[in-house]
Amino acid sequence: MDYDVIILGGGANGTGTARDCAMRGLRVLLLEKADFGVGASGNSSGMIHGGIRYMLSDRHVTALACRDSGYIQRIAPHLLFRIPFLMPFTTRAAGATLRDRAAWYATEVYVGTYDLFQPLKRGKPSTRLSADELYRLEPGLRPGLRGAVTLDEWGIDAFRLCALNALSARAHGAELRTWTAAREILAEGGRVRGVRFRDALTGEEGEARAPVVFNATGAWSPALARRSGAAVPMRPGKGVHLTLDRRYSNYGVILSAVDGRQMFVMPHESESIVGTTDDDYYGDPDDLEATNDEVEYLVEGAASLLPGVRNARITRAWCGLRTTIYAYGPNEDALSREHQLHDGAAYGRAGLLSLVGGKLASYRAQAEEATDRIVALLGRAPVPCRTHEEPLPGGDEVPDPAALARAHPVAAPVAARLVYRHGGRAREILRLLEEDPRLGLVLCRDEGILAAEVVHCVRHEQVRRLQDLRRRCRLAVGACAGLDCARVAAQLAARELGWSPEQVRAELADLLDAGWRERRPILDGAQLVQEELVRGAHAAAGAPW
Amino acid sequence: MVSPRAVAADVLVVGGGMAGAIAALAAREAGARVVLARRAPGATALSSGAIGVAPDPLALPGEPLRAAREPLEAARRLARLRPDHPYAVLGERLGALPEALAFAARVLAPLLAPPLERPRFLATPFGTAVPAALCQRSQAAGDLLAVDGALVVAGLRGHLGLDAALAAAGLERYRARGGPRAFAVEVDPGLGEVGLFRPHELARALEPPGAAEALGRAIRAALPAGAGAALVPPVLGLRPEARVPERVAAAAGIPVAELLADVPSVPGVRLQAALEAALAAAGVEVVQGALQGAGPGKPAMVGADEITAPRWVLATGRFVGGGVVRRGTLREPVLGLPVQAAEGREAGVDLAARPAASLTGAARSGPQPLLSAGLRVDALLRPLDGRGRPAADGLFAAGAVLGGHEQASDGTGLGVAILTGYLAGRAAARPGGGE
Ligand SMILES: Cc1cc2nc3c(=O)[nH]c(=O)nc-3n(C[C@H](O)[C@H](O)[C@H](O)COP(=O)(O)OP(=O)(O)OC[C@H]3O[C@@H](n4cnc5c(N)ncnc54)[C@H](O)[C@@H]3O)c2cc1C
Ligand SMILES: Cc1cc2nc3c(=O)[nH]c(=O)nc-3n(C[C@H](O)[C@H](O)[C@H](O)COP(=O)(O)OP(=O)(O)OC[C@H]3O[C@@H](n4cnc5c(N)ncnc54)[C@H](O)[C@@H]3O)c2cc1C
Repeated sequence: MDYDVIILGGGANGTGTARDCAMRGLRVLLLEKADFGVGASGNSSGMIHGGIRYMLSDRHVTALACRDSGYIQRIAPHLLFRIPFLMPFTTRAAGATLRDRAAWYATEVYVGTYDLFQPLKRGKPSTRLSADELYRLEPGLRPGLRGAVTLDEWGIDAFRLCALNALSARAHGAELRTWTAAREILAEGGRVRGVRFRDALTGEEGEARAPVVFNATGAWSPALARRSGAAVPMRPGKGVHLTLDRRYSNYGVILSAVDGRQMFVMPHESESIVGTTDDDYYGDPDDLEATNDEVEYLVEGAASLLPGVRNARITRAWCGLRTTIYAYGPNEDALSREHQLHDGAAYGRAGLLSLVGGKLASYRAQAEEATDRIVALLGRAPVPCRTHEEPLPGGDEVPDPAALARAHPVAAPVAARLVYRHGGRAREILRLLEEDPRLGLVLCRDEGILAAEVVHCVRHEQVRRLQDLRRRCRLAVGACAGLDCARVAAQLAARELGWSPEQVRAELADLLDAGWRERRPILDGAQLVQEELVRGAHAAAGAPW
Repeated sequence: MVSPRAVAADVLVVGGGMAGAIAALAAREAGARVVLARRAPGATALSSGAIGVAPDPLALPGEPLRAAREPLEAARRLARLRPDHPYAVLGERLGALPEALAFAARVLAPLLAPPLERPRFLATPFGTAVPAALCQRSQAAGDLLAVDGALVVAGLRGHLGLDAALAAAGLERYRARGGPRAFAVEVDPGLGEVGLFRPHELARALEPPGAAEALGRAIRAALPAGAGAALVPPVLGLRPEARVPERVAAAAGIPVAELLADVPSVPGVRLQAALEAALAAAGVEVVQGALQGAGPGKPAMVGADEITAPRWVLATGRFVGGGVVRRGTLREPVLGLPVQAAEGREAGVDLAARPAASLTGAARSGPQPLLSAGLRVDALLRPLDGRGRPAADGLFAAGAVLGGHEQASDGTGLGVAILTGYLAGRAAARPGGGE
């Protein structure tokens, strides 16, 4: 056999499991049909939360999630940021009914109980805010609110989380192939024996053999399973987020949508994120776009507490598919289990393990559990997991951005973004400027992307297509939509990867396509002006149309 | 307090981009008193420098560059394929295209090279060639059919903006179609640390005495044998009067031309400056500010000025210029004219209120009704109301405010602005308008 285990899918669960397996000495191949994080992981809200939702059904899950949140802070401190959330009381004190008062009280008790878990993830205890205090913190909230409770959570750049797990797996000897899809899971005599794959960029087809296949293809699993004569039952749900061009709140704000569902608005870097919708989705997972009503729904909901959002410049609408356990159980047990590992032995695919569900926040614990199972399936002696101890690449010795900016010819905000995205590796990136001062050029002023960062990512972070840089360093995802940065970044990548002029244009077209799909449903006001600019400038300079 | 000023004119042009400026100059030449009101530079000031009339939609991919049709024939072919396009809407008036181009070349003579019978083929940073009906003098020597010998793409040392090797490798492809051989070299412009300069900063740095000459000498030193012309990044001076292209070429000893630009576009800034100079020279009164008014014959306000003219040319551009805006629905903000023209089937009275996703296609390339939305006009360039009748007496429209075309998807931008500006300006100069 070529490998001990083949892992399908490069989301948080696939890359996390690849890392764990490789760290435990297994020979690992990971196949990702596109790029790390393109599925649910990168398109999630990126909240490494403690699962407050499960407190009523299973406090054990909450404790577990909080502890894992703490672990992620230990292994990737640079990538996490604290988001204090405010949960405003929406009814007026004057007209409050007994039920309103009971609800306020319940919220406080609920959040107060959650506080008991906060130390596990180094969160601050919740605070009860009066109306005065609330408006001092968030003057943009609509008038008439009675107060709020605070709730400390953590956010992460989920694309980079996936990439870092992948890079760490690679450093531990795993082989990872992006833009390479598993076409079929191969089986023989009731056991899996490997997969057939195809490289989308070279057209290369091949087979890889292993006694264990771990299927972490998320919403794509049912289709892959069907093609391979197996079955993975699940209920896919589509979730849409909007990005607004600037901060509409200083804190995360939890609010209700028109139908009463919980939503949020939260600051991320210089932008705001509004999320999410949640609807069943049985369409093609490769053809996912936000619709007009989803955009409207989110704007309406957000504007109900933050009226300014109604005039906001929406810069993109992005979506992902949640995989929910099929027939989400009426019983406590099914509810509390956030994820399931399906064993293929039941249908003649011994050695096939498929993951359903599995939050981003607890990806590490899920990967640990999956790896334990994989080791057992291989009949190996248990090896202890160390993924919560060893830092992810860049997670050790995270430099102080201000000191970095003093030591190198870059502005402080640029250094800060570099440290956020790359942690300790920001030093390596800035060292590139010593050899080639041109790489100190800030390609995108929206996102503070240095030319050196592009070169570093292309050299060291498994970039095969230009659009991979959307996920590694946010190339062309800001409000500017790639106006300044896209062409020069394409040239830099071309130099590193030896692209021909035709390839450069094809890659640029592909990058612009990806952005277009996210902006199409939101084009209005200033963002529509920007679209005309981007189209005009790239077409005039010879990008393919 | 500035005291209000009442100004009377024959023609009021709203908008100071290519369409508005050409309309004002054409009306002025026809003897009218012209006032032009403009808020800010628009799309014209951001354009790459190539003035595209129309790429020939029926040209075969591998055909020799010399086989290219003259711009009028290419525009006619486009009109036959695209009934919503302004070229089609104009009907037989499309025949005025050569005259309009010649007019633009004449009034912008210090900047623009005289038109040829055929388009010029100008190089982009990717080493592709774009057909241009008109271009700046600083670009003409780069015409792939005009280079006598090899074409040398010169990157500037210390600057990331242009990857000369990439551009040269791309241009090699045109050899089979009659283009020149292409080489890449790197030259040191002698400006010190230019690595972090933006295009316009480089352009300014090349203006002082000695700077352009140093670049020219560096190009001369780097030239391989057999070089016929050199292509450099589009940074040869911001102010036309600094004569940077001429100075660089003189020192280099061969013709030197600029590549086409993206934004920020130095050639675009020069084009806008040349338009302003032409307006001043022709005696067009330019008023700075956003115009508010109710249409021809009624007083309009621009800042403290009150302007009254019996005939107007609306040349307010599209989204970048501000002639069409969208806040939930598409609107023409100056006169509230209906926005009902666009590429494809979505056009019509319902266009304006449709959601963004319904007005766009999933594939980025190809016509996008939302991006080509604008006014619908008749063959005399009179904006039409919801019932298809001229919206107001004495009102004309020109340039990107007209719907049914988009430079990104069909290659027609400044060419439409010149033709429609010219026709609208001349029509507005005549009392009674039109015929
Ligand atoms: C809108 C939304 C918001 C969310 N918010 C949060 C949150 O705040 N916190 C949280 O903890 N969780 C959140 N989640 C849930 C979380 O994102 C997912 O549970 C988690 O990311 C699942 O990771 P995964 O690796 O299993 O799947 P995915 O990330 O979907 O990865 C599957 C991968 O498999 C690849 N693939 C598919 N087919 C093949 C094939 N044939 N061969 C090779 N590769 C293939 C895909 O390209 C994809 O990259 C959210 C989910 C959504 C949709
Ligand atoms: C980035 C980019 C690159 C391009 N490159 C090319 C190219 O290389 N070749 C090409 O042929 N085409 C190109 N185009 C298309 C071309 O630039 C436009 O089609 C053309 O410039 C439109 O000219 P215009 O005069 O109609 O509008 P604009 O140049 O936009 O001018 C509109 C004017 O109207 C004014 N205005 C608007 N409202 C008011 C008001 N209420 N009161 C007063 N003034 C007002 C604005 O301030 C502005 O001065 C490009 C477009 C873009 C966006």
